[in-house]
Amino acid sequence: MDAPETILSVEKIEVTYHRVVTAVQGVSMTVKRGQIVALLGNNGAGKTTTLRAISGFVGMDDAQVSEGSISYKGQRTENRQPHEVTRLGVVLVPERSKVFENLTVAENILAAVPGKKSKSQAAVAYEYFPQLVRLREREAGYLSGGERQMLAIASALVCAPELLLVDELSLGLAPRVVADLIERLQLIRGELGLTIVLVEQNATVALELADYGYVMENGRIVLDGTADRLRSHDDIREFYLGHVQGERRNYRDVKQYRRSRRWYG
Amino acid sequence: MQLAVNIVVLAAIYALISCGYVLIYRVSRVLNLAHGELMLVGAYLLYSTASLLGGNPLTAVAMAAVLGLLVGVLVYVLLMRRMTGEMVLAAVLCTIALGVMLRGATVLIWSAQVRHPMEALGWSNPSLVLFGDARISLISAILIGATAVVYAALFGFLGFTRWGIRMRAAGQNPLLASQRGIQLHGVYALAWGLSTFTAGLAGMLISLDSSLDGTMTMIGLKAFPAALVGGLDSLAGALIGSAIIAIAEVLLIQFVNPLLSDVVPFFVLLAVLVIRPWGLFGSKEELDRV
Repeated sequence: MDAPETILSVEKIEVTYHRVVTAVQGVSMTVKRGQIVALLGNNGAGKTTTLRAISGFVGMDDAQVSEGSISYKGQRTENRQPHEVTRLGVVLVPERSKVFENLTVAENILAAVPGKKSKSQAAVAYEYFPQLVRLREREAGYLSGGERQMLAIASALVCAPELLLVDELSLGLAPRVVADLIERLQLIRGELGLTIVLVEQNATVALELADYGYVMENGRIVLDGTADRLRSHDDIREFYLGHVQGERRNYRDVKQYRRSRRWYG
Repeated sequence: MQLAVNIVVLAAIYALISCGYVLIYRVSRVLNLAHGELMLVGAYLLYSTASLLGGNPLTAVAMAAVLGLLVGVLVYVLLMRRMTGEMVLAAVLCTIALGVMLRGATVLIWSAQVRHPMEALGWSNPSLVLFGDARISLISAILIGATAVVYAALFGFLGFTRWGIRMRAAGQNPLLASQRGIQLHGVYALAWGLSTFTAGLAGMLISLDSSLDGTMTMIGLKAFPAALVGGLDSLAGALIGSAIIAIAEVLLIQFVNPLLSDVVPFFVLLAVLVIRPWGLFGSKEELDRV
C-alpha cells in the first residue's frame, strides 16, 4: 500500500511581526493527507502564529514569513494572501473573531466564497451542523460559544477545504460541547476526506483526536511524534496531561524545570 | 407647501451624496474627504460627454455615469489600495490631498469658468406644478426619483446579494473575510466605484439643475454632516441625517437668514455629536475606530 501523500510541508519557517519581532523560528512540520495533526503548547508558544503563517497574513497583520518555506500540495504558499490560500483549499477556523457578529447565521454562510468542489457547499455546512438551520435568521453575535464554533466550522466548510486549520477548538467551551464538536470533526474528516491541523492548549482534547502531534515552546518545535507516543511521554503526561507521579510540583518548580530543560530543540 | 418641496429636494441631494461617504466608510473604515471633488469630477465628465455626444444626450449621461464609476475604481487601485492596512489617519489625509489635486485638475482641464451641461445636452428644465402653488423643476424631480432608486438598490444589494453580504462582512472583519476567500481589494474597489458613481450622479443632476463650477464641492462637504449625524456606518442613518439637515437648513434660511445656509449642517452636526458622538444610527464601537 502507498504511503499517504504529503499535503502540507512547512520547512524551517521564521515569522516576524513588524519586521523586528520574531514569533516563531525554525519550525518544520509535515502533514499527510487524511491525518489529524495537533499543534500543542502553552500561551505564547507560537502555535497560532504558525497556523496564521500557513493560512496567510493580511497587510494589517504586519507579519511575514521571513525565512523558510510552506508548500501545499507542492505549491509554495508562504506570504500569500489569505483569500488565495483559502481558494487553494487551506481554510482556517480562527481562535477569536471567528464569525461575522453583525451578520445572521445564513449571511455568515453566504459570505464565504464557495470552493470549486461543489455548488452546494452551503447545504454541506447545514448537513453537518443541523442546529444552525433553526438559527439561520439570528445574528451571530447573539450565539452561544458552542454555536459560534459550529458556525465557524460550517462557514469554513463552505470554502470546500482539503486542509482545515482549527485554532483552539475547545477554548471556553463546556466539555459536553467539546465532545460533540470532536465527534463531528471526526465524522467530517471521514466523510469529506479532510486533513486537519488542530491547535490546542488542551492536550487531552488534542491527543484524543489527533494521529500525530507537535509540541511548541518559545516559538520552536521541541517534540513531535504519534499521538500514542506523546500521550505516554513523561513530560507531556506531567506538564500537559496533568498526570503527576509522586509529589505534585508547584508552579515555580515547573517554570524552573522548563527553563533548565531545553527539550529536544 | 413649497417649503416641504424644498426640504424634500435638499434632503434628496444630501442623501444621494452622503450614501457614498457611508459606503466607503462601512467597507474600508476610511472617511473619504475627497467625495465632494469626486462629485465635481462626475459633473465635469457629463459636461465633456455632452459636448462630445451633443446629439445623443442619453448616451452622454450613461457614459458619464460609467466613467464616474471607473474613476472611483481607479482612485482605489492607484492610490487607496496602498493605504490598506495603514493607519486610518494616513488614509484620511490621503483623501484630503486627493481632493485638493482633483480640484486643481478640474480647473486645469475645464477651466474655472461656469459651465452649463444642460445647454450642452440640448435639454430644458421645465418647472412642474404640484398640488397647491408648489413647484419643482424637472431635474429636481428626477433627482428625488434617482435617490429613491439608488437607496432601494443599495439596500437590496447589501442585504440580499452575495457580493453585498461580502461587502458587509469585509467591513466588519477584513481578516476573517479574507480567510473565507473574499478578495478584499476587489470589494474595496467596488465600494469606491459605487460611491463615486452615486457622487457623480449627484454632481450631474445638480449641475443640470443649476450650473457647474468649483463651488459645487461645498455641497459635497455639507453632505458630510448628514452622514455623520445619521451614523457613518448606517445607510438608513444617512437618509435620516440628510432629512434632519435639510429641514434645519431650509427652515433657518426661510425664517432666520439665508446666509446661514452653509453653516447650518455643521451646527446640527455639532449639536448631535455632543449628545450622541456615534451618530443617531451608527454603532458605538465605530467611534473608537475613528
